[in-house]
Amino acid sequence: MLGVTLITFYLSYGMGDPLAAHVTERTTDEQYEMLAEKHGINEPIYIQYFTYLRGVITFDWGYSEVLNEDVSDALRYRFAATLELSILAFIVAVATAIPLGIFSSIRQNRWEDHSIRLFALAGSAIPIFWFALVLQYLFAVTIPAYIPDFNWEITGRSDPILWEVTDQIDTPTDFLLVDSIAAGSWIHFKDALKHMILPATVLAYSSMATIIRLMRGNMLDVLGQDYIRTAKSKGLSENQITYKHGAPNAMIPTVTLLGMGFAGLINGSVLTETIFTWPGLGAWAITAMRSLDISAILAYTLFSAFLYIIANLVVDILYAFLDPRVELSGHSSLAEIVIVALSILLLITTYFSADYAVILGILIVLSLALFSVYSIGIRLWNNPDDTWIIFLFTGTLFVIWSILSGFFMTIIFVSIFIYLFNLLLKLPVVSQRWVWEDIKNHFAPKFDEFKRTLYQIKKNPLTMLGLFLVLSLISVAFFAPWLAPPSETQRDPMRMEEHFAFNQPRNFQPPCYFSCTADSGEVDGYILGSTDRGYDIYYGIVWGSRTSLDVAVKVVFTGTFIAVVIGAVSGYYGGRVDDIVMRITDVFIAIPGLVLALAIIAVTEDTSIEMLMYALIIVGWPGFTRIIRAEALRIRKLPYIEAAKASGASDFRIIFKHVIPNCITSIIVIATMDMGGIVLSLAALGFLGFGGGPDLAEWGKLVSFGQDNILLGQWWSFFFPGLVIALWALGFYLLGDGIRDILDPKQRN
Amino acid sequence: MLEIDNLFLKFNTYDGAVKALDGVNLKIKKGEIFGLVGETGSGKSVTCYSVLKLLPRSAEIDGNIILNGEDITEASEERMREIRGGEVGIIFQDPLSALNPVMTVNEQIGEILVLHQNEVINDLASEKEIPVYKSERWKASPGVEFTIIAFCISFISLFVMLGQWTFALPFLFVIINMFFRDYLQRNNPASALDLMVIEALSRVKLPNPEQIANSYPHELSGGMQQRVMIAMALAGKAKMLIADEPTTALDVTIQAQILQLIKDIQKEENMSVLLITHDLGVVAETCERVAVMYKGKIVEEATVDEIFTNPKNEYTKGLLGAIPKGGKERLKVPNLKEVEA
Repeated sequence: MLGVTLITFYLSYGMGDPLAAHVTERTTDEQYEMLAEKHGINEPIYIQYFTYLRGVITFDWGYSEVLNEDVSDALRYRFAATLELSILAFIVAVATAIPLGIFSSIRQNRWEDHSIRLFALAGSAIPIFWFALVLQYLFAVTIPAYIPDFNWEITGRSDPILWEVTDQIDTPTDFLLVDSIAAGSWIHFKDALKHMILPATVLAYSSMATIIRLMRGNMLDVLGQDYIRTAKSKGLSENQITYKHGAPNAMIPTVTLLGMGFAGLINGSVLTETIFTWPGLGAWAITAMRSLDISAILAYTLFSAFLYIIANLVVDILYAFLDPRVELSGHSSLAEIVIVALSILLLITTYFSADYAVILGILIVLSLALFSVYSIGIRLWNNPDDTWIIFLFTGTLFVIWSILSGFFMTIIFVSIFIYLFNLLLKLPVVSQRWVWEDIKNHFAPKFDEFKRTLYQIKKNPLTMLGLFLVLSLISVAFFAPWLAPPSETQRDPMRMEEHFAFNQPRNFQPPCYFSCTADSGEVDGYILGSTDRGYDIYYGIVWGSRTSLDVAVKVVFTGTFIAVVIGAVSGYYGGRVDDIVMRITDVFIAIPGLVLALAIIAVTEDTSIEMLMYALIIVGWPGFTRIIRAEALRIRKLPYIEAAKASGASDFRIIFKHVIPNCITSIIVIATMDMGGIVLSLAALGFLGFGGGPDLAEWGKLVSFGQDNILLGQWWSFFFPGLVIALWALGFYLLGDGIRDILDPKQRN
Repeated sequence: MLEIDNLFLKFNTYDGAVKALDGVNLKIKKGEIFGLVGETGSGKSVTCYSVLKLLPRSAEIDGNIILNGEDITEASEERMREIRGGEVGIIFQDPLSALNPVMTVNEQIGEILVLHQNEVINDLASEKEIPVYKSERWKASPGVEFTIIAFCISFISLFVMLGQWTFALPFLFVIINMFFRDYLQRNNPASALDLMVIEALSRVKLPNPEQIANSYPHELSGGMQQRVMIAMALAGKAKMLIADEPTTALDVTIQAQILQLIKDIQKEENMSVLLITHDLGVVAETCERVAVMYKGKIVEEATVDEIFTNPKNEYTKGLLGAIPKGGKERLKVPNLKEVEA
């Protein structure tokens, strides 16, 4: 226990540190420069190059200053708006989620638990932008239809007439709620709160989901500990045990992940702010990205990374505060001290002269690269047996390339064939022919396990629901040509624009569900209505499922593959290899995923579906890798690894025969969960207008078509595609959650 | 004192019911140390957990458990809470994992005192004219403490931003109070609860109880942790102590100390002790009577002398034969098939 806490502490604190130094240095530098109105463009680009060099992205350096406003002022005002919203949402989320999580854990596997879990999973499965649109529609159209006097602002942060013309008050903090309290004005407070409730609800619900699930898991863990039994043997009541002994212990790991929750809020605020036209950082960044203002995009990316690192630092300190077993004396290695010292040196040089800083920076990067190549080389030189790692990485690169370049199905078929062949070889052969009994006996244990799994799936209604959703959506993708036949003249069925040849475009057609007698007499009506440009929503949804399935499968396969190889190797070896890998993932994780994907797409100016896929892979792999690595780190300390080593197994064999098979539960669970998560990110990107061409059948894009016409009462054009996204994600999340429970041998009985 | 009559226990699992106890009969008299021996999985621990109903939900009990003439098999949860800690105390195998890692010893023992000794604490307080509890009861939870600090800091920074210094002062005072609490309270009298905790700790012969009361479990050594556990189990003035392999996780010298401590306390308070162990040496040293358990049944019950000199059951003989002796004599592993036949 102490070892585990030390490791996590070491990771988050020790490894985050050099990065923090880098980023602080960049941001302060940038802000300093902007403030002084110098045109030290060299440094920002160069330093941004640092970040993006690691992302293996090439981009064009020639850019022009598009900004019309002073960046530092804009950042300050907009940051206050974002921060006010995020803090309110965070407080709401934490205050609701933690009691719900605790309650859910003490009612494990009863209906209360199931409904809270469903509520939580729905929170992460429902696309933020769709939820926001539904709320907007409810408050702007549905409720006013029944209550005539009901008047609710669904956009903006405040009523400009009230705040700037009729009744002006000072806004020293730029936190409107605080300012109105300070001015003692109830009208202003009411106005600000009214504007804030909807976006805060949307943000809070999405981050609440993660906290509920974390808290539930941790509570279940803690409630199984010995000291809970001790507490019970003292004669404490159920409530006292839960809240006095259980909750404080379960809070410790929860708090460490609240930093991630804060990053999630920044991620979500991009979408929420865009929809509610909240004058915050996120909406600003989207505007910048749409106009491809690179400096603003990079400034925003760095700023959010900076925020994330500060949040993590606070969490680290908090962790030490909550857990008496941890002391804040992070033991750092020589390498870390050297890197921190070098970054500080770079900071100081940058302050005096930009040119020297560039040279110094290049020197540092070069020497670090040389050093890592040298250390790996030395290692290989000393242990010639380890050269398989190089082959392994080459092989990995080959597989990734083949997946991305369309050999995907070939690879799958070949591996299935190899597996079956191996299986045949392993089967016992009696008198030169296959005997059914032998085969049955050979598979008996596996069949038993399968029956047990089926039984547990049947026992848990939520898993059944997930399985049903997943299967039905996948079959929709599979049977798309029959469900929604493309027109005869259509060259590419994925293009919604070409669908018109068959179905004359009729804009804003309301849904007619199943009684679609055509009003013109010749063609069918739109089952689920049409968008402003006349695209058939039903057609888009059916063919969009192919886009989602395609992207999700490829991204998840590639990501998991990279993660399993890199994570297992780095976790198993530890040491310097691990240091390097973790520092690289640190850089990626520090930047909120959606923002990074957007930045990649905006910077490469390529919105094709392949580019989206690359962006999602780049964003996704560090998260996978970290989890696999943590698993490998845990496993390599276990006695059976020692035993395998003692019996003379090679590292290769240990990694592939012992480490990876023991990670398989978490690999399957992560992969299943991310099948949903990737589609959510894809839809978010599509919603923001980066969805592989203007008329590709893609769910997020369909939602965005309906976004502008909410006030006209056209609910169908955003409602149905968003619902499908939510169902897809929910299905995979439920399934992943169920699989986790089933495959965890500790949770049996 | 405690009478277990024909106790059956099974766990309902996916693979069907698993029988853990198969008709256990035990009788522990007042003021004796009763040993319960048996191999791993024979149902020793489960027997004592079923006395206090510390079993998971999947467990199903059948039979009678009589404590001081009262049948507690069907007792309500409220009654059980009075019994746990108040009438029967229990200590566990691994003291470190059995103590809550985020609460100080003071808080953990204080809790049981408040539950079962509330009148005594109040009497002590009125007699000595000292506070019943410390004024900062919320110090108990680091989480609460942190929340208060966080709120204070945010309010202070908020009012400072607004330029309203005066509003920030009370929050500043709270923070100063928290950070310099130890210094500010150097002259405060100890509360009645603190005195009781220190008394409970000195009863188990812990040196420097004031310091130990304020430390966290991981800061103590294994022996000290087990002493704290014993102090906790006895703090509620329990008349019976169940010790579930209390010495298994400790090294030999500490084992002897802990056993001596249990014996001493038993003599002083005239308590009944149910000592569960798989170590026959421990039994020989401490117990008066002993029962041998195998496969969820009591196979033999006798005084210690009788068991060691004249064992009747085959399994008991095998168990005694498995004790390593000096010299070159080969170890006799009990032949279980023979025993079952």
